[in-house]
Amino acid sequence: MSATRAQKRRGEAAAERRRPLSPGDYRLVRAVGRLPARVHTKLLIAFVGTAVLLVAVGALGLRVLAQSNDRVGELGPLQQRAAAYGKLQSDIASVRNLLPENLPRDDDFYLVWPGAVPVPLTGGARIAVDQAVANQVKRIAPATRPDRLGFVPPEEDESVLGEIREESSRLSSLMTQLINDPNDSRRAQAMAQAADLNQLASELANTTTAKASALIADNARAYESSRSLYVGVAVGAIGLALVLGFLLSWSVVGPIQRIDPRLAAIAGGDFSGHVDVENRDELGALAANVNRTNDELRRLYTELEAASRHKSEFLASMSHELRTPLNAIIGFSQVLREGMFGPVNEKQSEYLDDIVSSGNHLLSLINDVLDLSKVEAGQVELEVGPFSLREALERGVVMVREQATEEGVQVELSAGPEVDVIDGDERRIKQVIFNLLSNAVKFTPTGGEIDVSAIRVNGEVRVSVADTGPGIAPDDHERVFEEFQQTDAGLEQREGTGLGLALSKRLVELHGGRIWLESELGQGSTFVFTLPAGQASS
Amino acid sequence: MTGERILVVEDNEKNMKLFRDVLSATGYRTLEATTGGEAVEMATEHAPDLVLMDIQMPDIDGVEALRRLRADARTSSLRVLAVTAQAMQGDREHFLAAGFDGYLSKPVNVQELLGTVRRYCDGEAG
Repeated sequence: MSATRAQKRRGEAAAERRRPLSPGDYRLVRAVGRLPARVHTKLLIAFVGTAVLLVAVGALGLRVLAQSNDRVGELGPLQQRAAAYGKLQSDIASVRNLLPENLPRDDDFYLVWPGAVPVPLTGGARIAVDQAVANQVKRIAPATRPDRLGFVPPEEDESVLGEIREESSRLSSLMTQLINDPNDSRRAQAMAQAADLNQLASELANTTTAKASALIADNARAYESSRSLYVGVAVGAIGLALVLGFLLSWSVVGPIQRIDPRLAAIAGGDFSGHVDVENRDELGALAANVNRTNDELRRLYTELEAASRHKSEFLASMSHELRTPLNAIIGFSQVLREGMFGPVNEKQSEYLDDIVSSGNHLLSLINDVLDLSKVEAGQVELEVGPFSLREALERGVVMVREQATEEGVQVELSAGPEVDVIDGDERRIKQVIFNLLSNAVKFTPTGGEIDVSAIRVNGEVRVSVADTGPGIAPDDHERVFEEFQQTDAGLEQREGTGLGLALSKRLVELHGGRIWLESELGQGSTFVFTLPAGQASS
Repeated sequence: MTGERILVVEDNEKNMKLFRDVLSATGYRTLEATTGGEAVEMATEHAPDLVLMDIQMPDIDGVEALRRLRADARTSSLRVLAVTAQAMQGDREHFLAAGFDGYLSKPVNVQELLGTVRRYCDGEAG
């Protein structure tokens, strides 16, 4: 990179730094911009990605719900089993409790009659109770069958239930012997058997209850962890979607923010910088085109400037080169005409007059061409300021009065105090006024009249110069304001450059005003121009 | 006619002839220089009453010649008029600002030229 290029880059970097940092300048955002994909594709990926995340969060939620449902499904039968085994155990416990001589103090009986004194069972009562116990024992085995339980016990339960059935049938036969031949050793045997049975049933009931409790605890834990997972994934997904959105939107907005001021600068005629957008997408292409446009415009602008400068130089040279010989032509003619070196006869004097006036005509032509070229090239800068339009009109009238009087033409001026202060380029407005006035004098026949007036209407100043000349056909009204277009009357006059009205039109329009002609053949002509009334007079 | 000496600086032969003849016929003594350099030399040597200075010349231009005259104590107070075909808008102001005592645009009106010369020699040179 050449030194100047490097300097320029630094200058741009400096300009870049002066711009307040926006999220569009973050490294990650720029990296997203550098991805070689179209904005459309990037947007699609982001939206599809976000949608996938939403679907994933939804699926996870469903899975968590399903697991929870499964666990609840498992818990129901387990609790049913626990209840059934509890009932079985309580039946067996009551058998065990009814077997001893005395009811143990923890029998349900004392719950109902807490104050009762334990009384040993004897005789018929003992036998009746034992009979009831035997009946109760007979009901234990059937109660362990699936049809009575209301469910099919799992295998591990079934083996215990099988043992219970065996033990109960053993207890049943022991009970039969006890009833037939009651004695203490048989009773002790039955009691031991009942205790074993009770032990088995208790274990089964306790194990199942413990399993149910474990499952409930398990459920609670699983719910907790599922919830954490779900919340985590959901928060993560939302975060990711937001980050994606942020990156993507700023990778689009950032370049636009950088391109916009550059375009504004270009619109303002500043072609000095480049916009720095490293995006490899539509925005990168846009920035590249903005830069290309900038360069092309700068090139054209430079060329135009050079062309304009050449034109100005050419015009200045032309003016100089034409004026130099004109100096000799007019000068020598004047010297001769004035008889400085001897008398000249009438004819010679007339010719010399013609040479001088032709020379002066040529001079005004040069001046008008230069003026017109400058206006067309936009090189005329108005020096706008407040001035008295009335005074300018008075001066104009004074300038043409001599010639008008010679030709027997009356010039009237009416300009009120309301046009005493207006805004405009005094010199240029005077040029327009003089041009219109000298045209009027030129075309008004002896005995004619010229009326000059200035008024303020509808926020603008209106100046009109009306003559009693031959008038101009409506078809020619536009044409008289074109360069080198003179009416037949104008051509007959042999005076005038054919540029005066064209120049006046441009000068008035530069002021933001209008100029036009109101005339009919044989009715005289009224040239009117307006100027925006900047400063209102009192 | 008091025969003041006027230095005419002009590179165009015919214009030189015009100015010289008109001024001579009117009673002035004329000195002639066709380049800026020559103008400075002659002005220094002869101390004329008035200098009519062309602007565009082959070697140094009229503005530079004026600058040299003004820089030299012997010629710094000479009266120098710009007589030039550079007559675009703003040129008059430009040359007066450059230090010329007056400005006449070409083509000059002979009567105006003589009037101006007379004013500078008779009236103001007093």
